Amino acid sequence: MDDVSGKVPRGSGLRPEQEGAPPPVVDLDRVWIGVAAEVWHRGPGWLERLAEKLLRSPGLARALLTTPSLLLPWLIASVVVLGAGAAATSTAGEPLVALLAPALAAAGIAYAYGPGIDPAWELSRSMAVSDRMVLLVRALSVFALDAALGLAASAASGTAAGITFDWLIPMTAVSLLALAAATLARSANVGVAAGLAAWCIAVLAGKGADGQFAVVVTDHSLFPFYLVCAVVSGAVVLYATRTPKAFSLTRTPRGTS
Amino acid sequence: MNIDVADLTRRFGRNQAVAGVDLEAGAGVFGLLGPNGAGKTSLLRMMATVIPPTSGRLRLLGRDPGASDERREIRRRLGYLPQNLGYYPGFTVVEFIEYFALLKDMPPARVSRAVATAVERVDLGDKARAKLRTLSGGMLRRVGIAQAIVNEPELLLLDEPTAGLDPEQRVTFRELLRDFGERATVVVSTHLVEDVGAACSEVALMDRGKIVFLGTPEELRVQGESNGVGDSPLERGYSAVLAGARS
Repeated sequence: MDDVSGKVPRGSGLRPEQEGAPPPVVDLDRVWIGVAAEVWHRGPGWLERLAEKLLRSPGLARALLTTPSLLLPWLIASVVVLGAGAAATSTAGEPLVALLAPALAAAGIAYAYGPGIDPAWELSRSMAVSDRMVLLVRALSVFALDAALGLAASAASGTAAGITFDWLIPMTAVSLLALAAATLARSANVGVAAGLAAWCIAVLAGKGADGQFAVVVTDHSLFPFYLVCAVVSGAVVLYATRTPKAFSLTRTPRGTS
Repeated sequence: MNIDVADLTRRFGRNQAVAGVDLEAGAGVFGLLGPNGAGKTSLLRMMATVIPPTSGRLRLLGRDPGASDERREIRRRLGYLPQNLGYYPGFTVVEFIEYFALLKDMPPARVSRAVATAVERVDLGDKARAKLRTLSGGMLRRVGIAQAIVNEPELLLLDEPTAGLDPEQRVTFRELLRDFGERATVVVSTHLVEDVGAACSEVALMDRGKIVFLGTPEELRVQGESNGVGDSPLERGYSAVLAGARS
């Protein structure tokens, strides 16, 4: 027989003491927040999910995808520059890709993160995901991408196999030099200026000494110099982005008693 | 104590922005008043672990920000609104807040609900999917407040939070501050004394890098009863304390 007593039937989900009680009040604000969370949330794309898996940090993955020099306009500009370099290399014979790739990487890495280029840099420095880790991940990604683009451009231009890889060492040195200047001066623009200036000086000096622009990447006797430059610049980056130990220090500043 | 500061100093070259500040604060809303250049922002930036002190002792939420593990724990529990909030023009309101929720190491499963809550608390629900470049200054300020509170911080540091807000929004914002102050330490740096009177349980007045007054808003009011200058009792107290400190 059907229950016609007015009591809540078995299996209604209500506890016995709730039977016959007025219906529970629904917190509409809470419901709305749940709905809004569903509606407003944009799930991460495949690239972000991949980065999340590799980096094991959703915050770091999102930070990587917001790298100024990994955004589409920058990527298009990089492809255009290296494409033009590859075309010029094919026609003129001068290995322009080998000269352009280090400059491009230096600019891209200096623009990876920091004041003057990241609008929310001050806020980012107060976040749990370390800004040094963000910088490292972004710099490595920009370097890897620029190296891949450079290698593709070299292959397209038919450059000799030897020179195709020779510019990776100067590229590393110039990129780290640009990053060192950017982190030390706390200005991305200073980093770009330093990296490009150093590379231009090296290329022009090579031209003056040997009569060829490409000597800076073909002369293997210069490689120890590049390696020293890379190591010193890397040390400067580590110093400039070091953990501030002064938080817990108790010491007297100079000039006061 | 959530904030424990002893003899804290900060120099920028020859300029001493903060000159030996001692401060302790537990739960409640703490107002930081002072003229431009008094050192409020530098003190707040040190408490936000953005810049290290030149000397002195700083402990936040019972932890030492000098140790990287403890600093990370502090930052997970921290909400910070800088004086100049930089923003990504192409981000929507939700994307911006979500980005910082992730950088605060919030569990991803909790993020979307926390973002929606923060957006509603600053009354930006109808702009949730609007690009930041389309928002007014007051709305951007509220976006900044939303990212600061998205992780339900135990320590909330707000630098000039009411700049650009209209009177109605200020009243709502003060309610928000009082609400947070019941369970967290909220430090509000401002030069608007009416914000302090309406929302703060304690106030410090800074001048030339030092705290020259520490007490309740009522005690500040009393300071101005005899010789202060200003339109409101708090303003008179403010000007009387500053005049006394400079004489």
